[in-house]
Amino acid sequence: MGEILHDYLPVLLIGQFPNGPLGGLALTLILSVLGLALAFPLSIGLALCRTSPYRALRLPSTIVVYIVRGVPLVMLVFWSYFLVPVLVGQTVSAFTTLVVTLVIYQAAYMSEIVRAGIESLPKGQTEAARSLGLNYGLTMRSVLLPQALYNMLPSLISQFVSTIKETSIGYVISVHELTYSASQVNSAVLTKPLQVFLTLSLIYFAVCFALTRCAYAVDRRIEKRRAGVTSPVESTAHDPLLQS
Amino acid sequence: MIRFSKVNKWYGTYHALVEISQEVGKGEVVVVCGPSGSGKSTLIRTVNRLEEIQKGEITLDGTDVHDKSVDLNHFRTKVGFVFQQFNLFPHMSAVDNVCLAPIKVLGKSKVEAKDRAMALLERVGLAHKASSYPQQLSGGQQQRVAIARALAMEPPVMLFDEPTSALDPEMVGEVLNVMKSLARDGMTMMCVTHEMNFAREVANKVWFMDHGQLIETGTPEAFFSNPTSDRAKRFLSEIGSH
Repeated sequence: MGEILHDYLPVLLIGQFPNGPLGGLALTLILSVLGLALAFPLSIGLALCRTSPYRALRLPSTIVVYIVRGVPLVMLVFWSYFLVPVLVGQTVSAFTTLVVTLVIYQAAYMSEIVRAGIESLPKGQTEAARSLGLNYGLTMRSVLLPQALYNMLPSLISQFVSTIKETSIGYVISVHELTYSASQVNSAVLTKPLQVFLTLSLIYFAVCFALTRCAYAVDRRIEKRRAGVTSPVESTAHDPLLQS
Repeated sequence: MIRFSKVNKWYGTYHALVEISQEVGKGEVVVVCGPSGSGKSTLIRTVNRLEEIQKGEITLDGTDVHDKSVDLNHFRTKVGFVFQQFNLFPHMSAVDNVCLAPIKVLGKSKVEAKDRAMALLERVGLAHKASSYPQQLSGGQQQRVAIARALAMEPPVMLFDEPTSALDPEMVGEVLNVMKSLARDGMTMMCVTHEMNFAREVANKVWFMDHGQLIETGTPEAFFSNPTSDRAKRFLSEIGSH
Protein backbone atom coordinates (compact mmCIF):
# COMPACT_ATOMS: atom_id res chain seq x y z
CA MET A 1 0.00 0.00 0.00
CA GLY A 2 2.90 2.30 0.75
CA GLU A 3 4.09 1.65 -2.75
CA ILE A 4 0.77 2.65 -4.24
CA LEU A 5 0.70 5.82 -2.19
CA HIS A 6 4.25 6.57 -3.20
CA ASP A 7 3.68 6.08 -6.92
CA TYR A 8 0.14 7.19 -7.39
CA LEU A 9 -0.71 9.69 -4.63
CA PRO A 10 -0.54 12.68 -7.02
CA VAL A 11 -3.01 10.96 -9.37
CA LEU A 12 -5.37 10.30 -6.48
CA LEU A 13 -5.08 13.87 -5.25
CA ILE A 14 -5.13 15.92 -8.47
CA GLY A 15 -5.52 13.46 -11.39
CA GLN A 16 -3.41 14.13 -14.50
CA PHE A 17 -2.99 17.81 -13.59
CA PRO A 18 -0.99 19.83 -14.73
CA ASN A 19 -0.32 17.60 -17.75
CA GLY A 20 -3.95 16.66 -18.16
CA PRO A 21 -7.36 17.49 -16.70
CA LEU A 22 -7.69 18.13 -12.98
CA GLY A 23 -9.08 15.09 -11.20
CA GLY A 24 -8.85 13.01 -8.06
CA LEU A 25 -9.64 14.39 -4.62
CA ALA A 26 -9.28 17.97 -5.86
CA LEU A 27 -12.07 17.50 -8.40
CA THR A 28 -14.16 15.66 -5.83
CA LEU A 29 -13.88 18.63 -3.48
CA ILE A 30 -14.59 21.13 -6.27
CA LEU A 31 -17.69 19.15 -7.26
CA SER A 32 -18.89 19.02 -3.67
CA VAL A 33 -18.35 22.70 -2.98
CA LEU A 34 -19.91 23.73 -6.28
CA GLY A 35 -22.84 21.37 -5.84
CA LEU A 36 -23.54 22.57 -2.33
CA ALA A 37 -23.00 26.26 -3.09
CA LEU A 38 -25.43 26.18 -6.01
CA ALA A 39 -27.91 23.96 -4.19
CA PHE A 40 -27.98 26.18 -1.13
CA PRO A 41 -29.93 29.18 -2.50
CA LEU A 42 -32.17 26.76 -4.37
CA SER A 43 -32.88 24.84 -1.16
CA ILE A 44 -33.89 28.05 0.61
CA GLY A 45 -36.28 28.84 -2.23
CA LEU A 46 -37.73 25.33 -2.06
CA ALA A 47 -38.06 25.52 1.72
CA LEU A 48 -39.87 28.86 1.50
CA CYS A 49 -42.27 27.34 -1.04
CA ARG A 50 -42.74 24.30 1.21
CA THR A 51 -43.62 26.49 4.20
CA SER A 52 -45.70 28.91 2.15
CA PRO A 53 -49.36 29.42 2.98
CA TYR A 54 -50.08 29.35 -0.76
CA ARG A 55 -51.02 25.95 -2.13
CA ALA A 56 -49.83 26.91 -5.60
CA LEU A 57 -46.29 27.14 -4.25
CA ARG A 58 -46.49 24.44 -1.63
CA LEU A 59 -47.81 21.65 -3.81
CA PRO A 60 -45.31 21.67 -6.70
CA SER A 61 -42.33 22.17 -4.38
CA THR A 62 -43.50 19.30 -2.19
CA ILE A 63 -43.87 17.05 -5.23
CA VAL A 64 -40.37 17.92 -6.46
CA VAL A 65 -38.84 17.24 -3.06
CA TYR A 66 -40.65 13.92 -2.69
CA ILE A 67 -39.74 12.73 -6.18
CA VAL A 68 -36.06 13.60 -5.85
CA ARG A 69 -35.89 12.04 -2.40
CA GLY A 70 -37.64 8.92 -3.62
CA VAL A 71 -35.27 8.20 -6.53
CA PRO A 72 -31.74 6.74 -6.33
CA LEU A 73 -28.97 9.20 -7.13
CA VAL A 74 -27.74 7.12 -10.04
CA MET A 75 -31.19 7.45 -11.68
CA LEU A 76 -30.90 11.23 -11.45
CA VAL A 77 -27.45 11.00 -13.04
CA PHE A 78 -28.89 9.08 -15.97
CA TRP A 79 -31.75 11.51 -16.31
CA SER A 80 -29.40 14.50 -16.41
CA TYR A 81 -27.05 12.64 -18.71
CA PHE A 82 -29.73 12.01 -21.32
CA LEU A 83 -32.23 14.79 -20.64
CA VAL A 84 -30.07 17.89 -20.16
CA PRO A 85 -28.53 17.68 -23.69
CA VAL A 86 -32.04 17.37 -25.12
CA LEU A 87 -33.24 20.37 -23.14
CA VAL A 88 -30.31 22.67 -23.96
CA GLY A 89 -29.89 21.35 -27.51
CA GLN A 90 -26.17 20.66 -27.32
CA THR A 91 -23.82 18.16 -25.76
CA VAL A 92 -23.02 18.75 -22.13
CA SER A 93 -19.82 17.74 -20.39
CA ALA A 94 -19.90 14.95 -17.85
CA PHE A 95 -18.73 17.46 -15.26
CA THR A 96 -21.72 19.74 -15.88
CA THR A 97 -24.06 16.76 -15.86
CA LEU A 98 -22.79 15.71 -12.48
CA VAL A 99 -23.00 19.23 -11.04
CA VAL A 100 -26.60 19.57 -12.26
CA THR A 101 -27.46 16.23 -10.70
CA LEU A 102 -25.82 17.05 -7.39
CA VAL A 103 -27.50 20.45 -7.24
CA ILE A 104 -30.98 18.99 -7.77
CA TYR A 105 -30.36 16.16 -5.35
CA GLN A 106 -28.81 18.32 -2.64
CA ALA A 107 -31.37 21.09 -3.02
CA ALA A 108 -34.17 18.63 -2.29
CA TYR A 109 -32.46 17.24 0.80
CA MET A 110 -31.22 20.58 2.09
CA SER A 111 -34.61 22.21 1.61
CA GLU A 112 -35.88 19.79 4.24
CA ILE A 113 -33.12 20.88 6.60
CA VAL A 114 -33.93 24.53 5.98
CA ARG A 115 -37.65 23.90 6.41
CA ALA A 116 -37.05 22.13 9.71
CA GLY A 117 -34.77 24.99 10.76
CA ILE A 118 -37.46 27.58 10.07
CA GLU A 119 -40.28 25.56 11.59
CA SER A 120 -38.37 24.79 14.78
CA LEU A 121 -38.07 28.48 15.68
CA PRO A 122 -40.54 29.67 18.32
CA LYS A 123 -43.71 31.14 16.83
CA GLY A 124 -43.12 34.24 18.96
CA GLN A 125 -40.23 35.25 16.71
CA THR A 126 -42.55 35.61 13.74
CA GLU A 127 -45.22 37.28 15.84
CA ALA A 128 -42.76 39.79 17.29
CA ALA A 129 -41.38 40.66 13.86
CA ARG A 130 -44.81 40.98 12.26
CA SER A 131 -46.08 43.05 15.19
CA LEU A 132 -43.33 45.57 14.48
CA GLY A 133 -44.65 45.94 10.94
CA LEU A 134 -42.04 43.79 9.19
CA ASN A 135 -43.56 42.08 6.17
CA TYR A 136 -43.09 38.42 5.31
CA GLY A 137 -39.88 38.96 3.32
CA LEU A 138 -38.21 41.11 5.96
CA THR A 139 -39.27 38.73 8.72
CA MET A 140 -37.67 35.84 6.85
CA ARG A 141 -34.53 37.71 5.88
CA SER A 142 -33.82 39.61 9.07
CA VAL A 143 -35.29 37.42 11.79
CA LEU A 144 -36.02 33.80 10.85
CA LEU A 145 -33.39 32.76 8.30
CA PRO A 146 -30.34 34.09 10.19
CA GLN A 147 -31.40 32.06 13.23
CA ALA A 148 -32.46 29.00 11.25
CA LEU A 149 -29.26 28.90 9.18
CA TYR A 150 -27.12 29.28 12.27
CA ASN A 151 -28.91 26.41 13.99
CA MET A 152 -28.59 24.37 10.82
CA LEU A 153 -24.81 24.71 10.47
CA PRO A 154 -24.03 21.20 11.78
CA SER A 155 -26.62 19.65 9.46
CA LEU A 156 -25.20 21.61 6.55
CA ILE A 157 -21.71 20.33 7.28
CA SER A 158 -23.09 16.78 7.43
CA GLN A 159 -24.72 17.44 4.09
CA PHE A 160 -21.35 18.49 2.72
CA VAL A 161 -19.95 15.17 3.92
CA SER A 162 -22.64 13.22 2.09
CA THR A 163 -22.07 15.31 -1.02
CA ILE A 164 -18.40 14.38 -0.99
CA LYS A 165 -19.35 10.71 -0.90
CA GLU A 166 -22.04 11.17 -3.52
CA THR A 167 -19.66 12.69 -6.05
CA SER A 168 -18.27 9.15 -6.44
CA ILE A 169 -21.33 8.52 -8.62
CA GLY A 170 -19.44 10.59 -11.22
CA TYR A 171 -17.53 7.37 -11.91
CA VAL A 172 -20.43 5.99 -13.95
CA ILE A 173 -20.29 8.91 -16.39
CA SER A 174 -16.49 9.14 -16.39
CA VAL A 175 -16.00 12.31 -14.42
CA HIS A 176 -12.38 12.16 -13.31
CA GLU A 177 -13.09 12.46 -9.61
CA LEU A 178 -11.46 10.48 -6.83
CA THR A 179 -13.12 7.11 -7.44
CA TYR A 180 -12.51 7.32 -11.16
CA SER A 181 -8.85 8.17 -10.52
CA ALA A 182 -8.54 5.20 -8.19
CA SER A 183 -9.97 2.85 -10.77
CA GLN A 184 -7.45 4.19 -13.27
CA VAL A 185 -4.69 3.55 -10.78
CA ASN A 186 -6.09 0.07 -10.35
CA SER A 187 -5.92 -0.53 -14.10
CA ALA A 188 -2.32 0.63 -14.16
CA VAL A 189 -1.18 -1.46 -11.18
CA LEU A 190 -3.38 -4.37 -12.23
CA THR A 191 -2.43 -6.76 -9.41
CA LYS A 192 -3.37 -4.92 -6.23
CA PRO A 193 -7.08 -4.03 -6.33
CA LEU A 194 -7.57 -4.50 -2.58
CA GLN A 195 -4.76 -2.12 -1.70
CA VAL A 196 -5.89 0.47 -4.23
CA PHE A 197 -9.48 0.51 -3.06
CA LEU A 198 -8.44 0.42 0.57
CA THR A 199 -6.40 3.54 -0.11
CA LEU A 200 -9.41 5.08 -1.81
CA SER A 201 -11.60 4.33 1.20
CA LEU A 202 -9.04 5.77 3.58
CA ILE A 203 -8.89 9.03 1.66
CA TYR A 204 -12.68 9.39 1.69
CA PHE A 205 -12.75 8.47 5.34
CA ALA A 206 -10.03 10.93 6.35
CA VAL A 207 -11.78 13.85 4.67
CA CYS A 208 -15.27 12.94 5.85
CA PHE A 209 -14.20 12.11 9.39
CA ALA A 210 -12.45 15.47 9.73
CA LEU A 211 -15.59 17.24 8.56
CA THR A 212 -17.85 15.18 10.79
CA ARG A 213 -15.72 16.14 13.80
CA CYS A 214 -15.98 19.71 12.67
CA ALA A 215 -19.80 19.43 12.54
CA TYR A 216 -19.76 17.97 16.03
CA ALA A 217 -17.62 20.82 17.35
CA VAL A 218 -19.94 23.41 15.80
CA ASP A 219 -22.92 21.57 17.25
CA ARG A 220 -21.38 21.70 20.72
CA ARG A 221 -20.77 25.41 20.35
CA ILE A 222 -24.36 26.03 19.36
CA GLU A 223 -25.62 23.87 22.24
CA LYS A 224 -23.54 25.96 24.59
CA ARG A 225 -24.93 29.17 23.21
CA ARG A 226 -28.47 27.82 23.50
CA ALA A 227 -27.85 26.81 27.07
CA GLY A 228 -27.05 30.47 27.67
CA VAL A 229 -30.62 31.30 26.69
CA THR A 230 -32.19 29.27 29.46
CA SER A 231 -29.87 30.52 32.19
CA PRO A 232 -29.36 34.22 31.64
CA VAL A 233 -26.31 35.84 33.08
CA GLU A 234 -27.27 37.67 36.21
CA SER A 235 -26.15 41.21 35.79
CA THR A 236 -28.25 43.53 37.82
CA ALA A 237 -25.46 45.33 39.62
CA HIS A 238 -25.52 48.39 37.37
CA ASP A 239 -29.21 48.38 36.83
CA PRO A 240 -30.63 51.76 37.86
CA LEU A 241 -34.25 50.58 37.86
CA LEU A 242 -33.47 47.80 40.27
CA GLN A 243 -31.55 50.06 42.57
CA SER A 244 -34.29 52.65 42.70
CA MET B 1 -59.11 55.13 20.25
CA ILE B 2 -59.76 51.37 20.22
CA ARG B 3 -63.39 50.41 19.75
CA PHE B 4 -64.66 46.85 19.95
CA SER B 5 -68.15 46.35 18.61
CA LYS B 6 -69.86 42.97 18.88
CA VAL B 7 -66.57 41.11 18.43
CA ASN B 8 -66.90 37.34 18.18
CA LYS B 9 -64.23 34.73 17.68
CA TRP B 10 -64.40 30.97 17.48
CA TYR B 11 -61.68 28.33 17.53
CA GLY B 12 -63.56 25.62 15.70
CA THR B 13 -66.70 25.27 17.77
CA TYR B 14 -65.18 26.90 20.84
CA HIS B 15 -66.54 30.40 21.29
CA ALA B 16 -63.42 32.28 22.42
CA LEU B 17 -64.77 35.83 22.34
CA VAL B 18 -68.46 36.52 22.84
CA GLU B 19 -70.06 39.78 21.72
CA ILE B 20 -67.35 42.07 23.08
CA SER B 21 -68.32 45.74 22.84
CA GLN B 22 -66.26 48.33 24.63
CA GLU B 23 -63.96 51.23 24.05
CA VAL B 24 -60.50 52.36 25.09
CA GLY B 25 -60.20 56.13 25.08
CA LYS B 26 -57.13 58.10 24.07
CA GLY B 27 -54.57 58.19 26.85
CA GLU B 28 -56.49 55.61 28.83
CA VAL B 29 -54.86 52.70 30.59
CA VAL B 30 -57.07 49.63 30.57
CA VAL B 31 -56.19 46.52 32.54
CA VAL B 32 -57.83 43.34 31.31
CA CYS B 33 -58.08 40.63 33.94
CA GLY B 34 -59.86 37.38 34.52
CA PRO B 35 -59.19 33.69 35.12
CA SER B 36 -56.94 31.84 32.69
CA GLY B 37 -58.69 30.75 29.54
CA SER B 38 -61.12 33.64 29.79
CA GLY B 39 -60.04 35.11 26.45
CA LYS B 40 -58.05 38.12 27.65
CA SER B 41 -54.95 37.34 25.62
CA THR B 42 -57.06 36.45 22.61
CA LEU B 43 -58.84 39.78 22.91
CA ILE B 44 -55.65 41.84 23.04
CA ARG B 45 -54.17 39.86 20.14
CA THR B 46 -57.14 40.70 17.93
CA VAL B 47 -56.27 44.41 18.20
CA ASN B 48 -53.18 44.10 15.99
CA ARG B 49 -54.63 41.12 14.15
CA LEU B 50 -52.35 38.44 15.50
CA GLU B 51 -55.73 36.72 15.83
CA GLU B 52 -58.51 37.01 13.30
CA ILE B 53 -62.10 37.58 14.34
CA GLN B 54 -65.12 36.07 12.65
CA LYS B 55 -67.78 38.61 13.52
CA GLY B 56 -67.94 42.20 14.66
CA GLU B 57 -65.60 45.09 14.20
CA ILE B 58 -62.49 46.53 15.85
CA THR B 59 -61.46 50.03 14.93
CA LEU B 60 -58.29 51.77 15.97
CA ASP B 61 -58.27 55.50 15.37
CA GLY B 62 -61.02 54.95 12.83
CA THR B 63 -59.19 52.16 10.94
CA ASP B 64 -61.17 48.95 10.63
CA VAL B 65 -58.47 46.55 11.80
CA HIS B 66 -59.95 43.42 10.28
CA ASP B 67 -60.84 44.94 6.93
CA LYS B 68 -59.00 42.86 4.32
CA SER B 69 -57.91 45.97 2.44
CA VAL B 70 -56.01 47.39 5.40
CA ASP B 71 -52.24 47.61 4.88
CA LEU B 72 -51.52 45.37 7.83
CA ASN B 73 -47.78 45.98 8.01
CA HIS B 74 -48.25 49.72 8.01
CA PHE B 75 -51.07 49.46 10.53
CA ARG B 76 -48.97 47.36 12.90
CA THR B 77 -46.28 50.03 13.10
CA LYS B 78 -48.86 52.07 15.01
CA VAL B 79 -49.52 49.44 17.66
CA GLY B 80 -46.75 48.40 20.03
CA PHE B 81 -47.05 44.84 21.27
CA VAL B 82 -45.24 43.36 24.26
CA PHE B 83 -45.31 39.59 24.71
CA GLN B 84 -45.29 37.40 27.77
CA GLN B 85 -42.19 35.58 26.44
CA PHE B 86 -40.40 38.84 25.39
CA ASN B 87 -39.59 37.35 21.96
CA LEU B 88 -36.43 39.35 21.51
CA PHE B 89 -34.41 38.36 18.45
CA PRO B 90 -31.63 36.26 19.99
CA HIS B 91 -29.15 36.82 17.15
CA MET B 92 -29.13 40.59 17.68
CA SER B 93 -27.82 42.80 20.45
CA ALA B 94 -30.28 44.81 22.51
CA VAL B 95 -29.73 47.97 20.51
CA ASP B 96 -30.08 46.11 17.20
CA ASN B 97 -33.34 44.61 18.41
CA VAL B 98 -34.61 48.14 18.98
CA CYS B 99 -33.20 49.50 15.71
CA LEU B 100 -34.36 46.79 13.34
CA ALA B 101 -37.89 47.91 12.56
CA PRO B 102 -37.16 51.67 12.42
CA ILE B 103 -34.43 50.97 9.84
CA LYS B 104 -36.17 48.29 7.80
CA VAL B 105 -39.76 49.47 8.01
CA LEU B 106 -39.60 53.23 8.57
CA GLY B 107 -36.47 53.62 6.46
CA LYS B 108 -34.57 55.60 9.07
CA SER B 109 -30.83 55.96 8.75
CA LYS B 110 -28.69 53.71 10.91
CA VAL B 111 -27.28 56.63 12.86
CA GLU B 112 -30.67 58.16 13.53
CA ALA B 113 -32.22 54.82 14.50
CA LYS B 114 -29.35 54.04 16.81
CA ASP B 115 -29.50 57.41 18.56
CA ARG B 116 -33.20 56.94 19.12
CA ALA B 117 -32.66 53.36 20.27
CA MET B 118 -30.06 54.46 22.79
CA ALA B 119 -32.44 57.10 24.11
CA LEU B 120 -35.14 54.45 24.52
CA LEU B 121 -32.79 52.01 26.22
CA GLU B 122 -31.80 54.86 28.52
CA ARG B 123 -35.46 55.41 29.27
CA VAL B 124 -35.94 51.76 30.31
CA GLY B 125 -32.68 51.94 32.28
CA LEU B 126 -30.62 49.70 30.03
CA ALA B 127 -28.34 51.99 28.04
CA HIS B 128 -25.37 50.16 29.55
CA LYS B 129 -26.68 46.87 28.14
CA ALA B 130 -27.04 48.11 24.56
CA SER B 131 -24.48 45.72 23.13
CA SER B 132 -25.57 42.70 25.20
CA TYR B 133 -27.37 39.82 23.56
CA PRO B 134 -30.75 38.71 24.91
CA GLN B 135 -29.35 35.51 26.41
CA GLN B 136 -26.97 37.65 28.49
CA LEU B 137 -29.86 39.60 30.00
CA SER B 138 -32.19 38.68 32.82
CA GLY B 139 -35.88 38.20 32.09
CA GLY B 140 -36.78 41.62 33.41
CA GLN B 141 -34.09 43.26 31.34
CA GLN B 142 -35.22 41.38 28.24
CA GLN B 143 -38.76 42.56 28.75
CA ARG B 144 -37.62 46.15 29.13
CA VAL B 145 -35.66 45.87 25.88
CA ALA B 146 -38.82 44.45 24.30
CA ILE B 147 -40.77 47.49 25.50
CA ALA B 148 -38.08 49.80 24.07
CA ARG B 149 -38.27 47.88 20.80
CA ALA B 150 -42.01 48.41 20.59
CA LEU B 151 -41.66 52.11 21.51
CA ALA B 152 -39.10 52.63 18.75
CA MET B 153 -41.90 52.68 16.20
CA GLU B 154 -43.47 55.56 18.17
CA PRO B 155 -46.85 53.87 18.33
CA PRO B 156 -49.78 55.81 19.77
CA VAL B 157 -51.03 52.60 21.41
CA MET B 158 -49.24 49.92 23.40
CA LEU B 159 -50.59 46.44 24.07
CA PHE B 160 -49.14 44.27 26.83
CA ASP B 161 -49.94 40.57 26.92
CA GLU B 162 -49.10 39.38 30.44
CA PRO B 163 -45.76 41.19 30.38
CA THR B 164 -44.68 40.06 33.83
CA SER B 165 -46.08 36.51 33.97
CA ALA B 166 -42.89 34.85 32.79
CA LEU B 167 -40.69 36.76 35.21
CA ASP B 168 -39.22 35.80 38.54
CA PRO B 169 -40.99 37.80 41.24
CA GLU B 170 -38.02 40.05 41.96
CA MET B 171 -38.00 41.25 38.35
CA VAL B 172 -41.67 42.17 38.10
CA GLY B 173 -41.15 45.58 39.66
CA GLU B 174 -38.63 46.87 37.11
CA VAL B 175 -40.98 46.08 34.21
CA LEU B 176 -44.00 47.56 35.97
CA ASN B 177 -42.02 50.71 36.70
CA VAL B 178 -41.38 51.19 33.01
CA MET B 179 -45.06 50.61 32.25
CA LYS B 180 -46.10 53.06 34.94
CA SER B 181 -43.87 55.76 33.55
CA LEU B 182 -45.37 55.16 30.10
CA ALA B 183 -48.86 55.46 31.52
CA ARG B 184 -47.97 58.70 33.25
CA ASP B 185 -46.72 60.08 29.95
CA GLY B 186 -50.17 59.63 28.52
CA MET B 187 -49.69 56.49 26.44
CA THR B 188 -52.86 54.66 25.49
CA MET B 189 -52.38 51.19 26.93
CA MET B 190 -54.19 47.89 27.11
CA CYS B 191 -52.62 45.43 29.53
CA VAL B 192 -53.52 41.87 30.24
CA THR B 193 -52.05 41.31 33.67
CA HIS B 194 -52.54 39.66 37.03
CA GLU B 195 -50.76 42.50 38.78
CA MET B 196 -53.69 43.97 40.66
CA ASN B 197 -51.56 46.57 42.40
CA PHE B 198 -50.52 47.87 39.01
CA ALA B 199 -54.19 48.03 38.03
CA ARG B 200 -55.04 49.94 41.22
CA GLU B 201 -52.23 52.37 40.78
CA VAL B 202 -52.30 53.30 37.10
CA ALA B 203 -55.37 51.88 35.37
CA ASN B 204 -58.25 54.13 34.39
CA LYS B 205 -60.45 51.12 33.74
CA VAL B 206 -60.46 47.48 34.64
CA TRP B 207 -62.14 45.00 32.32
CA PHE B 208 -63.04 41.65 33.81
CA MET B 209 -63.46 38.72 31.44
CA ASP B 210 -64.67 35.18 31.87
CA HIS B 211 -65.51 32.51 29.30
CA GLY B 212 -64.88 34.89 26.43
CA GLN B 213 -67.31 37.48 27.75
CA LEU B 214 -66.63 40.93 29.05
CA ILE B 215 -68.42 40.56 32.38
CA GLU B 216 -67.69 43.81 34.08
CA THR B 217 -65.91 47.10 33.46
CA GLY B 218 -65.24 49.94 35.84
CA THR B 219 -62.71 52.10 37.56
CA PRO B 220 -60.21 50.17 39.64
CA GLU B 221 -61.66 51.60 42.87
CA ALA B 222 -65.14 50.44 41.99
CA PHE B 223 -64.00 47.08 40.65
CA PHE B 224 -61.81 46.15 43.58
CA SER B 225 -63.93 47.48 46.39
CA ASN B 226 -67.32 46.73 45.00
CA PRO B 227 -67.43 44.22 42.15
CA THR B 228 -70.96 43.72 40.90
CA SER B 229 -70.81 40.29 39.35
CA ASP B 230 -70.46 37.08 41.36
CA ARG B 231 -67.74 35.84 39.07
CA ALA B 232 -65.64 38.93 39.63
CA LYS B 233 -66.14 38.61 43.40
CA ARG B 234 -65.03 35.00 43.28
CA PHE B 235 -62.03 35.90 41.10
CA LEU B 236 -60.93 38.65 43.46
CA SER B 237 -61.25 36.48 46.55
CA GLU B 238 -59.26 33.72 44.80
CA ILE B 239 -56.38 36.00 43.99
CA GLY B 240 -56.63 37.44 47.49
CA SER B 241 -56.65 41.02 46.41
CA HIS B 242 -59.19 42.74 48.60
